[in-house]
Amino acid sequence: MRHAFLALMILMGSVLAVSAQTLQPILQTHTDEIASPSRNSVSVALDDLVASGVPQVTDFLEQWVERNIWQRDDGVFYIAVEDGDELTLTDIDTGAQSMAPAAGFTQLRPNGGVRRVIGTALVQFQLLDPDLTRRETAVASIARRPEAGQLAPLLASIDGETDAALKARKVQLANFMSARFADSPADRIAAITSLSADTSVEARAVLNQILSTSSGVAERAPDGNIAMIHDPMLDPEASYGLLVEADLAPPRQTPSDIRTTLEANIDADTIAGFAVAEMNDPAKREAAYAALSDAGLAPLLITAPVRDAALSAHVFYDLYDEDDVEITAAASIALRSVETRVSTAQAVDLTLDALSLASIFFLAAIGLAITFGVMGVINMAHGEFIMMGAYTGFVVQQFIPNYTVSIIVALPLAFAVTFAAGVAMERLVIRHLYHRPLETLLATFGISIALQQLAKNIFGTQARPLTSPDWLAGAWVLNDVIQISYIRIAIFVLALIFLGLILYILKRTRLGLEVRAVTQNPGMASSMGINPDRINMMTFGLGSGIAGIAGVAIGLYAKVTSEMGSDYIVQSFMTVVVGGVGNVWGTLAGAAMIGFGQKGIEWLNPSNTLAAQTYMILFVILFIQFRPKGIVALKGRAAGD
Amino acid sequence: MQNTFIGKNPSVLWFLLGLSVFTVVVTLCSEALGADIISTSFLKTLGKTLCLCLVAIAMDVVWGYCGILSLGHFAFFGIGGYAIGMWLMYARTEDIVVASLQNATLPPTPDEVTTAIGSQIFGVVGSSDFPMIWALSHSLTLQLLAVVLVPGLLALVFGWLAFRSRVTGVYLSILTQAMTLALSLYFFQNDTGLRGNNGLSGLQNVPGLEAVSQATLSLWFFWGSAFALGAGYVLFAWIVSGKLGSVIRAIRDNEARVRFLGYHVESYKLFVFTVTAMVAGIAGALYYPQAGIINPAEIAPIASIYLAVWVAIGGRGRLYGAVIGAAVVSLMSSWFTGGAAPDINLGFYVVQWTDWWLVLLGLTFVVVTLFFPKGIGGVFDLIAKRKGDTA
Repeated sequence: MRHAFLALMILMGSVLAVSAQTLQPILQTHTDEIASPSRNSVSVALDDLVASGVPQVTDFLEQWVERNIWQRDDGVFYIAVEDGDELTLTDIDTGAQSMAPAAGFTQLRPNGGVRRVIGTALVQFQLLDPDLTRRETAVASIARRPEAGQLAPLLASIDGETDAALKARKVQLANFMSARFADSPADRIAAITSLSADTSVEARAVLNQILSTSSGVAERAPDGNIAMIHDPMLDPEASYGLLVEADLAPPRQTPSDIRTTLEANIDADTIAGFAVAEMNDPAKREAAYAALSDAGLAPLLITAPVRDAALSAHVFYDLYDEDDVEITAAASIALRSVETRVSTAQAVDLTLDALSLASIFFLAAIGLAITFGVMGVINMAHGEFIMMGAYTGFVVQQFIPNYTVSIIVALPLAFAVTFAAGVAMERLVIRHLYHRPLETLLATFGISIALQQLAKNIFGTQARPLTSPDWLAGAWVLNDVIQISYIRIAIFVLALIFLGLILYILKRTRLGLEVRAVTQNPGMASSMGINPDRINMMTFGLGSGIAGIAGVAIGLYAKVTSEMGSDYIVQSFMTVVVGGVGNVWGTLAGAAMIGFGQKGIEWLNPSNTLAAQTYMILFVILFIQFRPKGIVALKGRAAGD
Repeated sequence: MQNTFIGKNPSVLWFLLGLSVFTVVVTLCSEALGADIISTSFLKTLGKTLCLCLVAIAMDVVWGYCGILSLGHFAFFGIGGYAIGMWLMYARTEDIVVASLQNATLPPTPDEVTTAIGSQIFGVVGSSDFPMIWALSHSLTLQLLAVVLVPGLLALVFGWLAFRSRVTGVYLSILTQAMTLALSLYFFQNDTGLRGNNGLSGLQNVPGLEAVSQATLSLWFFWGSAFALGAGYVLFAWIVSGKLGSVIRAIRDNEARVRFLGYHVESYKLFVFTVTAMVAGIAGALYYPQAGIINPAEIAPIASIYLAVWVAIGGRGRLYGAVIGAAVVSLMSSWFTGGAAPDINLGFYVVQWTDWWLVLLGLTFVVVTLFFPKGIGGVFDLIAKRKGDTA
């Protein structure tokens, strides 16, 4: 007994003595667990390794996960790198390097489950690692797969954290984990309550995990934290399916089951006394099946009353995985408050989306509004001018590889190209048709067909990219719900600039004055010395030029195709008609209404954007009934047809 | 003589005579009678062209005579096609399903038959339930009524809304275009229950007439189309002549003045809009069984605009002008885009008509609008004038 005690003391003493500096002896005491580990056995070895506090443990564990640990045939472990037949060995404790043939060594290959267990143990070392990136990796890995055991080391590492951002992240993560894993319910409830203002996806996931339920069915409600009792009669078929799954009821026969059973029991020309020829009547089929089942040839037919009786004999419940009622109650309250905040944020996000859609419609339609308002001319080729602008941007990018420069060049160039095209079209075609407005519609439509096909012939049918510069890529993220891409912000800003520019031209310049004069009364304007011909030409050029710029903007966020114009033309017309002709503010109001309307309908029925467009058009048709002249109608003489 | 129907519309006799001669000649040359001069597929093209002529005269009445540039009449045409297509597809699938269930050990129940038909028809959109919209598809009579009534009702409601709020001119055109776009987007959705962008297919097979060869069937449809065109021509000639016709033309020329004379302009417009929509539906119902397939792309706004192009090129305000325009442009379109037209080698560039036909058509259209507002039909005026000069 004394000998045994002495031996134990010596052994412990020697372990304690070496543990201060060396790892190898500890490894040797767990040779089996380390050389051929399983998920359960390895934790014994890991506990000892962690408890030892030897500094080399971190490095060893990392190398182990990386499969760089080799065992010599006599049992000693080394860190080794394989190089052909040779191994470059590193002593685990001293770090001394040596070479040896690979033949005398075996590589340790822990499987995925074991590596995960090692990784968990490793995290607590990495959390305190002097290297910042290693600490960040450790925190990220905890966030990816949080486990109860990691909470304590995480909390312990917060005080010593020097990096402010990482410290904040650790505190946040610790809070999430306390909500799920803290020991005392009070701590958990405190953590849960603190989440009720957090709209991040992570916080919502934490709350949802706490509130996770498993549904079940039984003859009477089980003890435990019941989330909900269902009424099976709301969807009897589905509820009965649950009963069948739980082996509490026989499956219900489908019509095809009944048919198969009947077919299997045909005797001459009859089934249980019923003629086969009569079997096109469902009632007769059921009767025949019932007869078969009475004769013991088939299981009992589950009719609706039988099903309902089975349903009412059982309780359908959802059971929280969490047993503590107070915690689930706190989590539900927190989640409800989070969801309120999330829906507010979603409303803001939707508003931003609608705003950006409205600014696209505004850009596409404002040129049309100018030509339509001033000249009473419908330009069906307006969409093709948008396309022309977009292709100008594409061609410029072929010559100027720097995207920022190319956009800066493309915007004025697109304006110039479409301005010229607009002026040419006005001089060649529209000028001759001023007193036949319906025919301008047709003639410009002819031009639109020709231009579209021409673009197809030149650029091909496939979509061409118009790449935005890097500083426009990405999105402005406000939180996990509200985010808007920079390109949409840029389009919004562009729309604002054009609104300002057009208002300035119309209200503050000589050209604007003359344009307004011609709009209101061409005859009078002409007798005051204004040349309506020139004004018409300039207006048409201006309207077309803006379409070109809109084309560049639209091309940046959508693809450039020969058909992109026709995608926007009807919406642009709607915008102009709804807004009221001949007024910039009207177009703005029209664009806002159509943009917000379309997004609103999309929100009601998110799966179907086609439906949103359909209903929006129907809405516009009805809207015209009540305000035939649009939202902002011109009054007095200017409104004369 | 001057006050009789024929006296006011001398073109009716000539037109009916020409149409009859054309029908007889085509019939004699057709494959069904053994002569191999006109192939079945070309016969179908001719039959389809007659249907297009019918919808074109409807368009001419509403635009050329009444001054309403509707960009929605091809949508009514498509609705007619869908209405008849639903019956064709349902009845044919039912035949196939019943035949295949014939040999089952048990005679099928009505439910089994319906489910089998449903999964045959709606399998492509991942469903097997019959949507509400197919509720009448089992009955030929009801679907034939739908061919006329659905476009008519739609035109009536839309026209009433538009005309009562005095939407006129380009506004009205854009509104009708919006209606067409809404319709085609609606038909494109799978939820609508019309097989989304797959459309309806296999319409060339008429249930109950499996024994009749396609050659004969095409001839029958050709006769049907010719008869419908002749009847439509007479109907519209009757509408546009007489007092009714005078009022309609007066509305085109000066709506306000007609209103001040005490006429209820809206009713006249609504009448013209609705009747032409119904005729367009009938034309569509004759067209699509010959085409064999219909999908939502057929009723896209562009199709209705092409309809206006045909009428404009043929000559507005005269019924035969619309017929000429539709026939010439649609036949030329299929000739040029079908790859049959010879390419032009310019030395540095080869003009391939499949690529350049639309450019040519668009520019022709601009030129016609600018310089020949009377279209091809204007040539007849010149001839009549020459005659008048010499007489």
